[in-house]
Amino acid sequence: MPAKVHTEKQSMSQSTSTPVLRTHNLAKTFALGFFRKKVHAVRDVSLEVKKGEIFGLLGPNGAGKTTTLKVLMGLIKPTAGSAEVFGRPAGHIVAKAQLGYLPESPYFYDYLTSLEFLVLVGELCGLRRRESRLRAEKLLERVELSHAANLALRRYSKGMLQRVGLAQALINNPQLVVLDEPLTGLDPLGRKQLRELIAELRNEGKTVVLSSHILSDVEALADRVAILVKGRMVASGKLSELLDTRVINTEITISSPPEALVKALAAHDITPRLVGDVAHFTLEQESATDEVVDLIRTHGARLMALIPRKESLEDVVVRQAAVVDAQSESPNAQTPNAKTGGA
Amino acid sequence: MRKVWAITLNTFREAIRNKVLYSLLFFAVLVIVASRAFGALSVNEEVRLTVDLGLAGMSLFLVIIAIFIGVNLVYKELERKTVYTLLPKPIHRYQFVLGKFLGLTLTLFIQTLVMAFVLAAVLWSQGAEVSGPIVRLMVLIFFEVVVVTAIAVFFSSFSTPFLSGMFTIGIFLLGRSVPDIRAVAAKITQPLLSSLLEGVSAIVPNLRYYFVTGADIKGQHVSVNGTFVDWGYVGTAAGYASIYTALVLLFAMALFSRRDFI
Ligand SMILES: Nc1ncnc2c1ncn2[C@@H]1O[C@H](COP(=O)(O)OP(=O)(O)OP(=O)(O)O)[C@@H](O)[C@H]1O
Ligand SMILES: [Mg+2]
Repeated sequence: MPAKVHTEKQSMSQSTSTPVLRTHNLAKTFALGFFRKKVHAVRDVSLEVKKGEIFGLLGPNGAGKTTTLKVLMGLIKPTAGSAEVFGRPAGHIVAKAQLGYLPESPYFYDYLTSLEFLVLVGELCGLRRRESRLRAEKLLERVELSHAANLALRRYSKGMLQRVGLAQALINNPQLVVLDEPLTGLDPLGRKQLRELIAELRNEGKTVVLSSHILSDVEALADRVAILVKGRMVASGKLSELLDTRVINTEITISSPPEALVKALAAHDITPRLVGDVAHFTLEQESATDEVVDLIRTHGARLMALIPRKESLEDVVVRQAAVVDAQSESPNAQTPNAKTGGA
Repeated sequence: MRKVWAITLNTFREAIRNKVLYSLLFFAVLVIVASRAFGALSVNEEVRLTVDLGLAGMSLFLVIIAIFIGVNLVYKELERKTVYTLLPKPIHRYQFVLGKFLGLTLTLFIQTLVMAFVLAAVLWSQGAEVSGPIVRLMVLIFFEVVVVTAIAVFFSSFSTPFLSGMFTIGIFLLGRSVPDIRAVAAKITQPLLSSLLEGVSAIVPNLRYYFVTGADIKGQHVSVNGTFVDWGYVGTAAGYASIYTALVLLFAMALFSRRDFI
């Protein structure tokens, strides 16, 4: 086995050209039960993650995020297409030497203490026992578990296990960190610390891939995302491209509008819905906002609320989920190739 | 090799932190000690009976422990999803299987030593000592257990503990009866059945090599208390065990390397 330093150097020079992680038309089909009923967990996913990126894999439950990551870790083999890590086929030992992986709801040897476990994992990464122990202790400090270092893992809480999971993913100082649902089980403080940790990793030039079905978690962290729905990649790109950052519309609520105001609004093609003496309406053009507000004020009506609505990631997922649903009903369904959030 | 060794040590650590193992070891020790009481029943032959019962108990319990831990070994890693953490580490899958097997073998070796010491202590209390034949039989018992372990690990790399246990016990029993199966196959006139039995006796390990007491080898009746096989025989038997074990492990590794961990 080549020395560790050596492989790291190789990757550095390599990764400027090759993407850290790449799938090409990746598909995974599970055959279940006696009748080998087919479950298409992932279909035709092509994505690329470049060095230094924080990449978010998004999608509702059962979208195929975990399956995609497992293929990339070499745990399962693709049914079709290819998966590469550092330019090598997924699961290659040289690729594995440079990555750290936190599985979904991780579970470890419960008869070990967290320190013993981390030392073991370090040794599996080729570290000597002494070096492994040093790193294990440092990492336990980093995830704030030093106080429980000698406690058997079976006595750990869910969130504590999640922290051990993070520590074991970092023990070989990997260039690529892959985290499957890293925020689940963490308390608010833990979440904040994880965000800081990911930011630190980015500053060290590491690449981070994280999956989540909670969009706001990824929204705050990721440079680029891919959205999976029912095994298909429905959108990918920079968040700013995916989301229409312009104001889509503005919802305005006023109380007891006088007759004159309703007429004036009608001149602007606006017919408010009246609920009691409260009127609601939606302004489609942002540019008209000032004018309308002036109208409201000169007519002496009271402005109760003015809410500019921007598109959120949720909107994108919901919209794309609807597209996929519609398509999977037609027999020759194709992958929607939406590059951006625009409909 | 350091990586395999890390898995070996961890498997050993898992085994010695397992309570079931201690109860099995406890019973084994109990049987060995009880064999002294049985020995005391027969006036002239007390040492002979202690030796026979003690060694039989030792063999039985080691096989039980090997099967019990062996069939759970890989399965537990899948069920508890620890493979998801371990296999993405820079190790080959075969190293994982090898480490697990070696860890279990190490555990069984220590157990054999413990039981051997207990038997030696019992014999010593009877004013007897551990003779050369007893040591050679203990070595044979250990190598038989190694073969059984490999078979258990093989089945456990693709099947549930219950099925693996059934298969392993089945092969163990067949292995102990290889000469009988061959004898039956020779007598049977039905050619298909005959070659089937021949085939079975060729595939399963011939565990009779390790179960020598009472057998006739080279025209001599073998007994730990009388004439016993020499070290040359033990060496050959150990060689056979090693080759058989290596082959079974290769199959286990190949299967384990191919499978999906979903
Ligand atoms: N072991 C398995 N056997 C059969 N089908 C499976 C298996 N694992 C996952 N699937 C199926 O594959 C699809 C994708 O599952 P996957 O776990 O990848 O989703 P996910 O995006 O990670 O969801 P979540 O947000 O709930 O973690 C689901 O329809 C699921 O039923
Ligand atoms: Mg998942």
